[in-house]
Amino acid sequence: MSTAKRQSTVPAGPKPPVNFSSTVTIPKDAVLQGTHSITIQSETLIHPRARLDSNLGSILIGRRSIVQERAQIGVEPQNIDTAIRGGVSLGDYVVVEVNAVIEAGGTEIGDGSVVQVGSRIGSGAKIGETVVLSNGQQRADKRLADARKLGTLKQINVVRKMIRNDQDKFK
Amino acid sequence: MSRRQVKGDYIETETGNKVSRKANLLGTQNMVLGGKVVIQPEVMIRGDLVRTAPSSSSSGGTAAPSTTAIQTGRYCFFSKGVVLRPPGRRYKGQFSHMPMRIGHHVFIGQDTVVQAATIGDHARIGKNCVIGEFAIIKECVEVLDGAVVPPNMVIPNYSIVAGQPARVVGEVPEGGGPDENGLRGLYSTVGNNPQNPDM
Amino acid sequence: MSSSPPYTYIQCPCSNEEPAEGSDASSPEGDSFHDAERTFDPRAPRSNYSLYLLEYLLYCEECQQIRCPRCVDEEIVTYYCPNCLFEVASSNLRSDGNRCTRNCYQCPICSGPVQVGEVQAEPETNLLSADNATAAPHGPYALFCQYCSWVSSEIGLEFERASGIPSQLAKMKNGGIPKITAKELKERRKEEPDMPPLEDELVDAELQYSALKTFYQSQINGPSNGLPGGLSLGDGHNFSSPAALTRMMSMWQPGGRGAQGKTAGPPDMFPEATDTDKGLKLAQLDESAKVQKLLDGGWDETVSKDQLLSQLEHAHFQDELRPLQCVLRTKRSRRCAVCRHIISKPENKVGSTRFKIKLVAKSYIPSITIRPLEPLAPPVPVGMRPQQPQEPPLKPLQPYQYILTFKNPLFEKLKVSLATPNNTPGRFSSKVALLCPQFDIDPVKDMWEDALDGDDRSRTEETGQAEAGKIYKRGRNWVSIILEVIPPLLTVDSLRPHTASGEPTDRSPLREDEKILEIPMFVRMEWEPEAQHDVGDSVGKDRNEGQKRELAYWCVLGVGQISHE
Repeated sequence: MSTAKRQSTVPAGPKPPVNFSSTVTIPKDAVLQGTHSITIQSETLIHPRARLDSNLGSILIGRRSIVQERAQIGVEPQNIDTAIRGGVSLGDYVVVEVNAVIEAGGTEIGDGSVVQVGSRIGSGAKIGETVVLSNGQQRADKRLADARKLGTLKQINVVRKMIRNDQDKFK
Repeated sequence: MSRRQVKGDYIETETGNKVSRKANLLGTQNMVLGGKVVIQPEVMIRGDLVRTAPSSSSSGGTAAPSTTAIQTGRYCFFSKGVVLRPPGRRYKGQFSHMPMRIGHHVFIGQDTVVQAATIGDHARIGKNCVIGEFAIIKECVEVLDGAVVPPNMVIPNYSIVAGQPARVVGEVPEGGGPDENGLRGLYSTVGNNPQNPDM
Repeated sequence: MSSSPPYTYIQCPCSNEEPAEGSDASSPEGDSFHDAERTFDPRAPRSNYSLYLLEYLLYCEECQQIRCPRCVDEEIVTYYCPNCLFEVASSNLRSDGNRCTRNCYQCPICSGPVQVGEVQAEPETNLLSADNATAAPHGPYALFCQYCSWVSSEIGLEFERASGIPSQLAKMKNGGIPKITAKELKERRKEEPDMPPLEDELVDAELQYSALKTFYQSQINGPSNGLPGGLSLGDGHNFSSPAALTRMMSMWQPGGRGAQGKTAGPPDMFPEATDTDKGLKLAQLDESAKVQKLLDGGWDETVSKDQLLSQLEHAHFQDELRPLQCVLRTKRSRRCAVCRHIISKPENKVGSTRFKIKLVAKSYIPSITIRPLEPLAPPVPVGMRPQQPQEPPLKPLQPYQYILTFKNPLFEKLKVSLATPNNTPGRFSSKVALLCPQFDIDPVKDMWEDALDGDDRSRTEETGQAEAGKIYKRGRNWVSIILEVIPPLLTVDSLRPHTASGEPTDRSPLREDEKILEIPMFVRMEWEPEAQHDVGDSVGKDRNEGQKRELAYWCVLGVGQISHE
C-alpha cells in the first residue's frame, strides 16, 4: 500500500536554493519549490506533504518550529493586485497545523504562534504570539509561553524519530 | 498511465477494503482497516505517528504493546482529501501520540481533518470539518459541514453539532440513526468496478 | 434537513385536524382549510410547520396515524452530562440544579470544553538543552481551553486541587478574591452578632439571592403578622391556589387597598428587605471605572451577546466572565398526544443507542425518492463520490421527466394511489402529470423466500420507458413511475392580469421560493395486515384480521430549480 514511489508524479518546479541547519528534519515527500531561498533553522520539523513555495519571495522558518502535513507556506495571495512583494518569515516555536495556508508577501508569524488546522494567513499579515483559530479568528495566547514552547520541543523530539529525514534530496 | 488503468485506480484487499492508489498512507503497518473500508484519493492517514509512551501504567499492563495508530471498523468511508492523524499530547511530562479508533459505518466528508480519539459507530462527519485532538464522538452523531469540533470535546449519542466551535444544535431523529447511513450502498459505487450511484 | 432539491417532505396530518372544541372555526379560511378537496400548497406560510422529512416522523399504531414532533408529548427518561456522560439522578437534580457538578466546565470565551491542568512553572533553563524529566511539581491548577487557548489564570482563577473544581470555584471570585457564601456569612454573624452588614460591593448575585430567599422564607413561615384581607401566609395556604391569588390581587388593588388600609394602618405593608443581610443591594450608578476600562481596553474587552447570554450574572467585560458548568442533557420518550401511547422510548442507559420502543413512520409508509430520467449533470467521478451531481436549473416551458421510486417497508402488499394537481399552486404554476397514479408494491420479503418464489411475478405492465398508465420499473419491494413536469416562465409580465376568481394578480417581484419547483402530491395507501406476520402489529392481530387499513397524506416533491432570466 506504500505510495512513496509515486513521489515522482508531483510536478517538479524549479528547485529552490535551500539553507538548512543540520538538525532540521524534513522528509523526502515534503514539497519545496520556487526560485527564492528557503532557510530552515535548527531543530525544526517538517511533516510529509508540507508545501513550501518560494516563487514570490524567500521563506525563513525559525528554530524549533513544526510545519504539519498539507500546510502550505508561501502561497500566492488571493488578491494578487493588493499584495505586497516579499516572502514569509516564521519565528521560533511556530506551529503551522494541517491544511493551514500562509500567503506570501512580507508575512511574518511571531515566536510561539500556532496557526490552527485549515486557517489562512493573508499576505502581509504580521502576527505576534497568538493562536489563529480554525474559524479565522485570532486570540492572543496568554498561557505561559515557556510551558508551551517546552511542549513544542518535546513534540519535536518525539516526532522527529518517526519521520525519515532526507535533507540531502533538497540540496 | 495506461498501465495503471489496467491495474485499476483502487487497491482492493482481501477483506474488501478499497484504497485509492492516489491516497497517501504513511506507516501502513500501524493501521488496521476493518474491512470494506473505502479510502478515496488524496486521503492522508498518519499511521507513522505511533504511541511512544508506555501504555502499561494507564491501561493495566495486560494489553500487549500494540503499535496500532489508527484502527477502523467495517464500512468506513473516507472521502477525498481527508486527513486522519492520531492526536498527541503531553502525558507525565512526555509527549506521545495516542491511537485513534474509528467504529463501524463511519462516514467522513471531503477535506475534513480528524484528530479525534474515538469516533463511534454510524457517525457521519460532513465536509471541511476539523475534529480537534482527543475529541470523542459517540455513536450516530452527525457533524454538519464546516464544523470545527474543539479539542477534547465529547459529543453524546444522536447529537447533531455544527459551528465554529461546534455546539450541539439538534438531535438525530428516531427515523435516522444506525441504518440510515447507506454506506453499504456507497461502498459499491466506488472501486475498480463501481456501480452507478442510482439503484 | 436537506434543503436543496431533490427532496421529499411529508405533511403531518395533525395540522389539518379539527381544532379542539370551542376554538373558532368560523373564519372563512378555517372552513376551506378542512376541505379535503383543497390542494395543499407547499408555499403557504403554515406549510413550514407541517412538512417533515420521513426520518423525523413517527407512527402511532393505536391511532394508525403519522405523528410529527409537534403532535407528540415528551417525557424525560434520563438526565446526563454531555461532557462526562454521567447519569444524574433526578433527586440530585433538585438539589444541584441542571448543571453538572463534576469537573465539567465550558470556556466562557468560546464555549469549548476546558481541562484542568497544572499551571506549570518548569525551569526555563531546560528549554534549550535536553529535556530533563524532572518530577513535576504539583499545582496550582487552572482550567485550559484547547480551542481558543483561554486559561482561567487570565482572570485570576487558580486552584489548589485538580478535583472538586465546583466547590473551589464557588468560593472564589474572578481575580482569586475569596467569595463570601451565605453559609459563611451566617456563621460569621453567629460569632459576632454586632457585625455591620456587608458592603454592597461584596454582595454578588448568588449571595443576594440566598439572602432574599431566607428573608422571604422567614416571612412566609413566621407567625401570622396580621396581613390584610385575612391573608395569613403561614397557615398552610398554597400560594398557587386561586383563592390566595385573588386575595392577594384584591390586596394590591388601589380600591381594595384603600378600603382596608384605613382600618389596618401601617402593618398592612409587607416588610421589605432593608439591608444587605436581607438581600438589598443598591444599584451602583457610578460607572466611571467602567467607562475608563472601555476607553483603555476597547471593543475587544467587552463581552459578545453569545457570551453574555450563557452567563449567570450580567457582565460587561471579558474578565468578568466565569467558566460555565455544563448544562445537563436528557434522553426523552415520546407519547402520542391523542391516545397517550408511547411511540418512542430510548433505553435508560446514557451510552446505549438502542430503543425499547421505536415506531417510526419509515417502517410504515413508503419512502419516496426522485431523480431525473435523463440526468443532465455529468456523473460524479468515482474518486469524488459520494458528491451529488448538481443538475442545472430547469428551463421554462420544457417538459422534464423524473423517476419517482416508492419503496414498501411493510410485509404486506401495498396499494398506492397518487394524485397531484394538474397545475401547482402559486402565481407561477407548473404543469404536472403522473403517468401511472395507481399501482401495487410487493411486500418486503426475506432473501430465501424471494428465491423460492421464483420469477413468476414478471409484470407485463412494466415498460422501462415513459408510457402512460404503466409502471416504469418494478423491483422486489419497490416501484418506479414517471412524473412529467413543465416548469413555468418566471417573469411577472407573463402572468395573466386577473386570477380565475377575478381578483387582480399579485405583481410583486419574483420571490426566492418561487424559483424552486415543488409539487404537492396526495398519497393514499391501502393494505391488509396479515395476522401470521405479526410485524410489530400484535394489537391488530385479532381486531383487524382481514380488515383493510388505509392511510392518506400529502407530501411535497422538491424537483429542482427553475432558471429565470
